[in-house]
Amino acid sequence: MASTSKDNGQAGPSSQNNTPDDLEPGACPESVLNPSDYFEEFASEISSSIQERNTSLKTKSSTISEIQSEISDVNNEITSTKSSDDLQSKDENMSASASSGNLSEQNGEESDNEKDDYLQSPELVNKEKHVFILSSAGKPIYSRYGNEDKLAGLCGVIQALVSVVEDQNQDILRSIVTKDCKAVFLVKGPLILVAVSKSNESETQLVWQLTYAFNQIVSVLTLTQLNRIFEQRRNYDLRRLLSGAERLIDNLLIFMEKDPAFLLGAVRCLPLPEKARENITNAITTTCHKIRDLVFAILIAGNQLITLVRMKKYTLHPSDIHLLFNLVRSSESFKTAESWTPICLPKFDATGFLHGHVSYIAEDCQACLLLLTVQRDAFFPLSQAKHTIAEKLRRSNCLVAINDALTRNVELPTTNPLKHIGIPEIRHFMYKCKSTAQLFTSDPISLDRLQDYRIRHKEGGDIGEKKIEKLSDIDYVRNYRKFCSQIHCTSSPAKLIFRSNSDNTVLAWVTNGFELYVTFDALMEKDQAIKAVDRLLRWIKREEQRIFIMNAPTF
Amino acid sequence: MIDVKTKITSFFIFNSSFGPKEGEELKRVLFFHPNHISPDARKNQVGLCEAVVKFMSTFSSEPCEALQTQTKRYIFYQPEKGYWMVLVVTIPYATKATSAIGETRGEVLNPSIMSDLLVSAYKMFKLFMGSFKDIPMENIYSTCEEFFNPYIMSKNLTNDISDLIQGVSYLPLDKNCFFKVICLIDLLEVTYPDFKCISFVYNDQLIWNGLATNDMLTLYQYLVQTLLPKQVEKEIQGGAVAAAQRHGRFISPPDGIRTSDDLKKLVKVYLRCEDDTESKQYYLIIYRTLSATMCFTIDVNTTLEIETFRSLDAFIGPHLSTIASTISEQCALHALQTAQMLGTDQKFVYFNRLNLAYKSSASLSKLVPSTAIKPEVLSIIADIHTDRKSLGNYGEVIIKTPDEYWITGKTSNEREFYVIIQEKNANLKEIADEVKRICEAQMKGIFFYPM
Repeated sequence: MASTSKDNGQAGPSSQNNTPDDLEPGACPESVLNPSDYFEEFASEISSSIQERNTSLKTKSSTISEIQSEISDVNNEITSTKSSDDLQSKDENMSASASSGNLSEQNGEESDNEKDDYLQSPELVNKEKHVFILSSAGKPIYSRYGNEDKLAGLCGVIQALVSVVEDQNQDILRSIVTKDCKAVFLVKGPLILVAVSKSNESETQLVWQLTYAFNQIVSVLTLTQLNRIFEQRRNYDLRRLLSGAERLIDNLLIFMEKDPAFLLGAVRCLPLPEKARENITNAITTTCHKIRDLVFAILIAGNQLITLVRMKKYTLHPSDIHLLFNLVRSSESFKTAESWTPICLPKFDATGFLHGHVSYIAEDCQACLLLLTVQRDAFFPLSQAKHTIAEKLRRSNCLVAINDALTRNVELPTTNPLKHIGIPEIRHFMYKCKSTAQLFTSDPISLDRLQDYRIRHKEGGDIGEKKIEKLSDIDYVRNYRKFCSQIHCTSSPAKLIFRSNSDNTVLAWVTNGFELYVTFDALMEKDQAIKAVDRLLRWIKREEQRIFIMNAPTF
Repeated sequence: MIDVKTKITSFFIFNSSFGPKEGEELKRVLFFHPNHISPDARKNQVGLCEAVVKFMSTFSSEPCEALQTQTKRYIFYQPEKGYWMVLVVTIPYATKATSAIGETRGEVLNPSIMSDLLVSAYKMFKLFMGSFKDIPMENIYSTCEEFFNPYIMSKNLTNDISDLIQGVSYLPLDKNCFFKVICLIDLLEVTYPDFKCISFVYNDQLIWNGLATNDMLTLYQYLVQTLLPKQVEKEIQGGAVAAAQRHGRFISPPDGIRTSDDLKKLVKVYLRCEDDTESKQYYLIIYRTLSATMCFTIDVNTTLEIETFRSLDAFIGPHLSTIASTISEQCALHALQTAQMLGTDQKFVYFNRLNLAYKSSASLSKLVPSTAIKPEVLSIIADIHTDRKSLGNYGEVIIKTPDEYWITGKTSNEREFYVIIQEKNANLKEIADEVKRICEAQMKGIFFYPM
């Protein structure tokens, strides 16, 4: 923030090449999150040939065993048996219940004729987006709407389509489109995932969502176990292992449609005064630095990251954090008691579980602390640590700071950024700092609004022509989807898009350091837009310590 | 021509109701290109497409448009209920990995050009053969062979903006000159009441049209892309313009009309003239002098006399050659004026959906392939052109690509205007000003908002 001289004033979307270095708000040398290009990673996850796909899911090395071997000199016995133990216990459950799987299989065949009728039933017709997950043998696992039992016929058709393309043409089925509808197919390991959508999301964006849904399943089972189940019994009915996970996928799908964090592959941080965040981080590090097996300590609130303290060398990928957000938000039980739960973070290590101590920090504060370890019986030491941390936070007034941010205290500049920035033509913006994979938007999430969206969604997910009088934040985000997909388009990417019509004016701009999306009033003049964007960037720069996590603390 | 170079693997037409029973699947295939594909492979391809169409119909009332696999794109078009035309093109699924491998995009045709190709293929078929449903089942296989084989061989496919935005190039004329053309047409229709003039074309530019807009485009494309290029080639080979040609001749049927036998060779077409409520069958007669071409229709139920054609020839020839010379003088003048106004690194395209008027900068015409638009840029324009909703009734979009191309698209009601500028150190405002300047200079009197 050294030079705010006049000549920089022209820097806006005019000349990317001379964007001054100081106008890269939020950038910092070391990042808590893995900032590797989200979009490229997604692209590389999509294998380009069948052979590649068959091998890709099995070759990853285990980060967890790496950590375990590092600390194994101390507690050798426990760790060596740990991960295989876990899998075995779940396997036993599986074989015990496998026999009843045959029954539902036969039912599936019979209902084939009713399939078309059921698809036209009010439960299923006129939905904006369907998501179906089935096994590669064609057995239904998950359907976003309706009862997947009754969808056995449809799943059979999907499985047939996928395998015809593979067997006859040695090819991979990707998508089918009509004028108003896209069907996107993703085969991952032993699963087939399909999205049928009438939304304005691009094919690529839908593939990401399916990948997330797959990761959500992996997060419950681990990839190792998922593969093993289907190696042993191709016809296995996976639903018996996923009970409870349906709700996670349901919520994740809603979350992805609404939160720009998924569009941009970034994580939202809870805006906090620099000092408060520092105190919180210190409270965690001082309490936990002696607990050797602790990999991550994460404090989150309302789908926003407050701080993340990590074991040296290891970072978390934004998509893993999104899964944690989703887990915490979907599980009411965490609110009532301290929990001890196995969590697989697919990007971190898809082959095994971390063990998480999850609890809300205090009765009067909606922040949730996750302590993730490779040690399977560390509940009590971690519980102890949590109480110490909570006590420290209360004493240093950090709980008040968190609550202020969460309830959007009007005195905070980040509560209503647009008002504070004072550019009336800007209706909405979102900003992603690429080097730290963090996101800031003009509508910091408040808990009540999240709730509101979920209630609205309960009513259906139906397509409806409603007259929009005042755009909500979600409508703005919907509007940005097309811009995001064009900016990240693999074949003909754009660096800058300025679009103006009778509804609004949108500017999307990507540089080496950031991505920025701004909605202005309709028919905004270009030079005014340039000036406004410049002022906006300066404001973000000024507030960067508050709205981003600018360091990468370790234990 | 559709071949390996353009990466078209196959093109086929099917109707599932033609062989409803098992074992009769091959009957469903009305046409299949290339010819050497085995019956089993044909069945498989069509079977996959049928399944895909059926699958999507459970979710959407709109017909299926495309199927994308890892290596290919299947493009669907259902011109009449139950009849599906499918084009299979080698277009790899776009991921960072594949584009890094060096799959040169330049060799891949833009998908929206592909689907337009199907639409124009059908329209051309309909112009000469009528609707699929009106052709008896026993004839349909041979009719498709007869039409689509030569069509595919003759079709020239390029990644060109004029293939993306298909329009009609109108020739601007001054009042007097235009009036002369209209007078000739009126005089002719009064003298020969059986003849209706349906279009008047000079070089490849339209001056007058008497068809519904849809048919006009098809006939115009037939003239400009198929018939006239052949004709011009003949004329050039014939050396100096022969005296007979100065006075004009019938160019359709191809050998002219000299004896009453030639009358049997008249081409029949299905068209909707301006007063018609639906397509009717007509004889199509095309007459050409110098660079001017006139098309006439005669109702198929009219008894034809060779005398009428001889007298028409004598009447129209001298008139038309006079008018053609006048127009040619005007054209030369006009070309000179526009050429001076535009820098060579700036390209623009204007299109009006209402009358299909199309105008582009000289550097964009097919004659100058060296300055063709990059496929990335073309694909961005294709997006703007196909996604009409995002700009609404009036709007503007400016997009900058990583290699410093600025693409501007403007719409105003049914009109569209695109400008491509390559400029390293420009900013948004400068580009917008430049576009405004080009718009004012090239499209005088045509209003775009926001300015």
